[in-house]
Amino acid sequence: MRPDIFCLILGMALVTFIPRFLPMALLSRWVIPERVKRGLDYFPISILSAIVFPILFFNGEGRMEIQPHYVLSAIPVFIFAWKVKSLWGSVILGMAVYWGLGFVL
Amino acid sequence: MDNHQFKAGAKAALPIVLGYLPVGMAFGVLARNAGLTTWEAGSMSLLVYAGASQFIAVEMISKGMIWFPIVLATFFINLRHLLMSSTLSLYFSRHSLRTLGLLSAQLTDESFAVAMSNTSKIENRPGYLFGLQIISHFAWITGSVGGALLGGLINHKSYGIPFALPALFICLLLIQIRKVHHFYIMVVAGIFSLFFKWALPGNWYIILTALLASGIGILINSKVQSSKPKIPLNTPSPL
Repeated sequence: MRPDIFCLILGMALVTFIPRFLPMALLSRWVIPERVKRGLDYFPISILSAIVFPILFFNGEGRMEIQPHYVLSAIPVFIFAWKVKSLWGSVILGMAVYWGLGFVL
Repeated sequence: MDNHQFKAGAKAALPIVLGYLPVGMAFGVLARNAGLTTWEAGSMSLLVYAGASQFIAVEMISKGMIWFPIVLATFFINLRHLLMSSTLSLYFSRHSLRTLGLLSAQLTDESFAVAMSNTSKIENRPGYLFGLQIISHFAWITGSVGGALLGGLINHKSYGIPFALPALFICLLLIQIRKVHHFYIMVVAGIFSLFFKWALPGNWYIILTALLASGIGILINSKVQSSKPKIPLNTPSPL
């Protein structure tokens, strides 16, 4: 391995590890107020929304533009995942619909 | 570490594996195209283990950039893990720093979301989270090395592979919607995220959305509780 690439990887690893580790190390030792805890309860929903919706409405270059292929694949997955909370099922269904749509779109 | 918990966590990782293998392969292919060796691609997946920033790093390497801009970009892209790590810290009190270090090193969006889909399974059970994360990490490394070795054998844009992780995230999002006000938070967060991604560079939209939408969630929740104090919190959502 080239030393400059190795240093780059180490640098990336370090700056990635710090925000992953610090809150876990510090907050797990503090008593968190109820109000803050309730706010943390909503982080998963907010983070996941912020991951899912931009996928449907932004293209690969980061420009806002409806992504029909993604939106049309997402609709059945939304319905299926709501009725049957199955991760496996959702992934397989999503891939199948996306693949199938590739022949039509 | 409890063997039974580890196995349960490893099993819960399987949908992530399905997404990580092909996306990891895509990373391996792109890394080779950018001039990295298989070893270098594999080491990055082993030591950094953060999908989005790895793709961007490879993109920047292929454009001749190296070192400082890449590390800085990586830092900002992965800053969002601050929020996930804070959330997870609630479920791991009284554990050694070594255990917490091990768990947080392998924290990703996907493993975080799967862990949060049933928090009773992770509460003070490092074995479960460790199993979930190490299997996911292993799939990511395997995919990366496989992709780097096999190159363009499988087209990573076909067989619905681009939609594997989005579908996983959609299901994980819906698992979080347990009460009516969760639905409102989802809608508010969705709108915020689109606006912030449009208005701001980089990955700031995730952090800003999480902070603002959670704040609004606290407001909605305190209104719900003060107007209908008799309804227990775990009433199933009528949605």
